[in-house]
Amino acid sequence: MILKNTFTEIGETTIFAKKFFKEVFIPPYETKEFLKQCYVIGYKSLPLVAITGFIMGLVLTLQSRPTLVKFGAESWLPGMVALSLIREIAPVITALICAGKISSGIGAELGSMKVTEQIDAMEVSAVNPYNYLVVTRVLACTLMIPILVFFADAIGIIGGYVGINIHGDVNFYRYLTQIIQSLEFLDLFPATIKTFFFGFFIGMIGCFKGFNASNGTESVGQAANSAVVTASLSIFIIDMVAVQITDLFF
Amino acid sequence: MEKQSRYTWKLGMFVTIGLLLFIMAVYFIGKQKNLFGSTFHITSQFKTVSGLEVGNNVRFSGINVGTVEQIQLKNDSTVIVILVMKEEVREFIKTDATASIGSDGLMGDKVLTISPGAKSTKIIEDNGQIASVDGIEMHDIMKSVKKSVDNIGVISDEIAIFSHSMNNGNGALARLVKDDKMANSVSNTLSNLETGTKGFSENMEAAKSNFLFRGYFKKKEKEKEKKAEERKEKQEEKKEKQEEKAAKEKEQKEEAKKEKQEEQQKKEEAKKN
Repeated sequence: MILKNTFTEIGETTIFAKKFFKEVFIPPYETKEFLKQCYVIGYKSLPLVAITGFIMGLVLTLQSRPTLVKFGAESWLPGMVALSLIREIAPVITALICAGKISSGIGAELGSMKVTEQIDAMEVSAVNPYNYLVVTRVLACTLMIPILVFFADAIGIIGGYVGINIHGDVNFYRYLTQIIQSLEFLDLFPATIKTFFFGFFIGMIGCFKGFNASNGTESVGQAANSAVVTASLSIFIIDMVAVQITDLFF
Repeated sequence: MEKQSRYTWKLGMFVTIGLLLFIMAVYFIGKQKNLFGSTFHITSQFKTVSGLEVGNNVRFSGINVGTVEQIQLKNDSTVIVILVMKEEVREFIKTDATASIGSDGLMGDKVLTISPGAKSTKIIEDNGQIASVDGIEMHDIMKSVKKSVDNIGVISDEIAIFSHSMNNGNGALARLVKDDKMANSVSNTLSNLETGTKGFSENMEAAKSNFLFRGYFKKKEKEKEKKAEERKEKQEEKKEKQEEKAAKEKEQKEEAKKEKQEEQQKKEEAKKN
């Protein structure tokens, strides 16, 4: 029974997502709402992502230091930290943070709109609610999450620099050259491509959960809650698939 | 509209900085891999590339100046390696430079090293070819190591036989090492020898003063004195020669200095004029 429900939900989400690709190209384009959502999703999440990124860089450096010192490979520390930050840690941590902040926000917002029948009212007043509410949010999420990840990368690298300077004394320029030496396009591009998928799924799942909230106040909370859980889970699944594809081709 | 413009510039700044970070990362990684900026190509033929891979560094005088762009098999015993290098180092690479493959550290990647040649002054052209020096393969090293290990095996066998016979045999050496009696007799012999030689030197002193041998010893002393005098003379000659040389060199140096000074003066005068 639970299995059947899960499959039903996956099917419904797929139909919901299919509608997005149809609607995104059809006017009217809600540019103003899109920009506002970009602001809310991107700019407003920056402090949270920055703090997380900084701490991840710092912690990762301090944690991997003892192992590398054991092998006498302390000079690999910047390269290793930057590599793991850019390839894995920054995209996934940023996506998870955004799943917590944005997905739940969208779920709760749309859920409460649904419950208070504002969405129905929109439809009556000849505004396409899907176009106005869902397309703008999902698009904003898809485009803003990668940028947030760039910020997380950069700030995480600065955090790593602080972490290294707790024990040693490394010139910042030297630190940067060490990082750039260890990086290749294959580290940067697959990681960037998968963040678009992260963003899309975060927005889509939040919207779906909110849009399909049943009537009743408690369903708003439920929508927000299940949006976070499903989005987080889907991030890990996408990450796994992305790693396998990267591993297969490169 | 008022409210919109308040957040739009923040959004614009956010997006710009974010994209700038990405572009910077792409640029710096690309610069590292020589994708942007002017480059030139060099090819070289190897019998074996020892596991060199596309993207490995190319070094000239220990500096990373490029990367391996392509590795092709030409026939069963020739591999063509195409290198992409920074344009700014081209003037230092002459046509008789050689390429060799080594490894970077014990566990590190392979590195293609370009060594400067000695004679040529012609700068290499784009897509030019340079000679290669075949690197030492690991199995070559292992072969020679195996040979010396085999030799060591033979030697250690013989040492084992030797020490066994020394410990267990009845030969002179074994008895010398093991037998107390033998040791005692040897030390007795030595002390006898000592007293014997003392007596002998006394005898010799006596013989010197004997009239029969006196003439012979006097002759010897005279010869010694002569030789000593000859040595002294030779040494003095050498000293004189060295002093002369030093004086000549000094004169030459001073002349050279004077000439230089004169030239400088002339130049300065020319400048003034």
